[in-house]
Amino acid sequence: MQQPQFRIWWLAVPALGYLLIAYAAPLVYLLMRSVIRPEGVSLQLFSAFLSDDYNLRVIGNTLRIALLVTLLCLAIGYPVALALARARGIAQVLLLTAIILPLSIGVVVKAFAWQIVLRRDGAIAKFLVATGIWDEPKRLLFTEPGLVIGAANVFLPFMILPIYSVVRQIDPRLSEAGATLGASPLHRFRKIILPLTMPGLITGIAFVFSMSLSMFVIPSLLMGDRFQTLATLTGRSFLLMRNEALGSATAVVLLVLAVSVVVGSTWVSRRLMRGG
Amino acid sequence: MTQEYGKGFGRRRVLLGGAATTIASLAMPGILRAQTRELVIGGAASHKPWVETHVMPMFEKKYNCKITFEGTRSLVNLEKMQKNRDKPYMSVVQMDDPVMILAVREGLLEPITAAKAPNLAKLKPGTTHMDGMWANYLQPWQGVAYNTNVLKTAPASWTDALDPKFKGRIIVPSLQNTEGLPNLFMFAHLATGKPMAEAYKDIDAAFRELRKLKPNLLTVYSQMPQAFSLLEQGEAHMILGALSSFGMQRRLDGAPITMTAPKEGIFPVPSGIAVIKNGPNPDLAFAYVNELLGAEVQSKIAPPTFALPTNVDTPIPPGMPTDATIHPIDWAFVAENRNDWVKRWDREMGA
Repeated sequence: MQQPQFRIWWLAVPALGYLLIAYAAPLVYLLMRSVIRPEGVSLQLFSAFLSDDYNLRVIGNTLRIALLVTLLCLAIGYPVALALARARGIAQVLLLTAIILPLSIGVVVKAFAWQIVLRRDGAIAKFLVATGIWDEPKRLLFTEPGLVIGAANVFLPFMILPIYSVVRQIDPRLSEAGATLGASPLHRFRKIILPLTMPGLITGIAFVFSMSLSMFVIPSLLMGDRFQTLATLTGRSFLLMRNEALGSATAVVLLVLAVSVVVGSTWVSRRLMRGG
Repeated sequence: MTQEYGKGFGRRRVLLGGAATTIASLAMPGILRAQTRELVIGGAASHKPWVETHVMPMFEKKYNCKITFEGTRSLVNLEKMQKNRDKPYMSVVQMDDPVMILAVREGLLEPITAAKAPNLAKLKPGTTHMDGMWANYLQPWQGVAYNTNVLKTAPASWTDALDPKFKGRIIVPSLQNTEGLPNLFMFAHLATGKPMAEAYKDIDAAFRELRKLKPNLLTVYSQMPQAFSLLEQGEAHMILGALSSFGMQRRLDGAPITMTAPKEGIFPVPSGIAVIKNGPNPDLAFAYVNELLGAEVQSKIAPPTFALPTNVDTPIPPGMPTDATIHPIDWAFVAENRNDWVKRWDREMGA
């Protein structure tokens, strides 16, 4: 039994090698750049970065936008994933196509499309005025709500697909059994569906949150230069200010935030699941 | 199957054929290698159309070589030059002047001399910099672009953009982009009322005046095509500090926009060209620079780029502003302070 198991590990070698060269090595280099200073190993870059109010505001922007995008994706994506898993035949094919096909469209194209939709004479403003929610067309473009809507559109499939892959494995008879025992739909959802979909939910949240935390193109096109996030600040430090030390520091802050939020949320969810 | 291999393309035959080709190409280096001489040029993405139309075919034929043009941003070009400092693969670079200063400081450029590029002697005064480290082959200009459907008359002054009726309708370039910097100097001039030569260093005054523009800002762009598409769609009404090379082209393409030179004046955008130190094929590199500084190429590329030529023998194309005040930019002052201004801009002009 030992031998086949040993052999199967070799299948992971290409991926491990690729990750080592393309991800781990540059990451270690980046970490080193941020702590090795002319005067020796020091955390001075981080303390300087974190003691500046403006940078704290940038961290706040980054986290707030990522959180809002994740929540919006969750609110839209979860019901869709349930519907997708229950759908049959052509309806399921159409739904899946509608979710996966947009992934083949580049982010830049999507951002430009959103620019048209979010304009003062765009579809959303027209709808809101027609329904009486707005008295007059307002600007959505280059505002935080506009950015959140646009980013959620790009990342939505990454929320739907992991949840869908879990939901489709749930035996529908579980819910039926609950119903025969007199459980209300809400109770069945809370006690059966939600706990069983938790692994997919956590994966979806981790995907969307970490991608929205580090997105670069979408905020630069939908918000412009007046709104900085850690990712845009990092890009600018390297490309414009030629301050690689600062760029490394902001990149490390971003990485630490992403990892801790994802690991933390997984831990909390697991505990909730056990508790539930 | 084995029989078919024997009849057709057996492995040995393929190998034999490959070996014969290799030997043949080694035996005729003079012909084959001369044809493959390649000149890699780094420039802006926006240069690509005129390089490919007006320069590349002529140059490749005249010098029997192949040009590869890598179009990106000036700072990305600088990055490429730094990273490949020991073994450059690019020979020539077309960048904005402020980035040229950085390249000179890092010792990445080879000076241009009249001996190697005779057209250097034919340039207007003030277009050769730092003892020939780089020269300007064109001078596009920066003024105000506006949507002609919305504004029936051209803005007469840069201060028109401060009018409350333009709330959320004005776009300016980011300080990340080279074309973003002149707005600082113009607003310093507007704030102090002093002549530009005196006013431009008063950056505090510039920011004080720029803050008045904040309610009117739609966005601060780093992607120029996006800014112009917003202007064309009517979402934006004006771009302050727009580039003639882009704005005038869009007008020619039929977009409802045009450019104007307000009464306070406009700024030249000196487009620089330089030879990269220790780059491949230096003879071709200097020949290329010489062609771009020559009257023949400039008379072809100045009209489509809506720029002023720098070679004294080249006629100024029609439609260019003739009576506007042109304020030269102190790029050394920019290079010294730009990072601080970017930081300050983030803090004071942020959304």
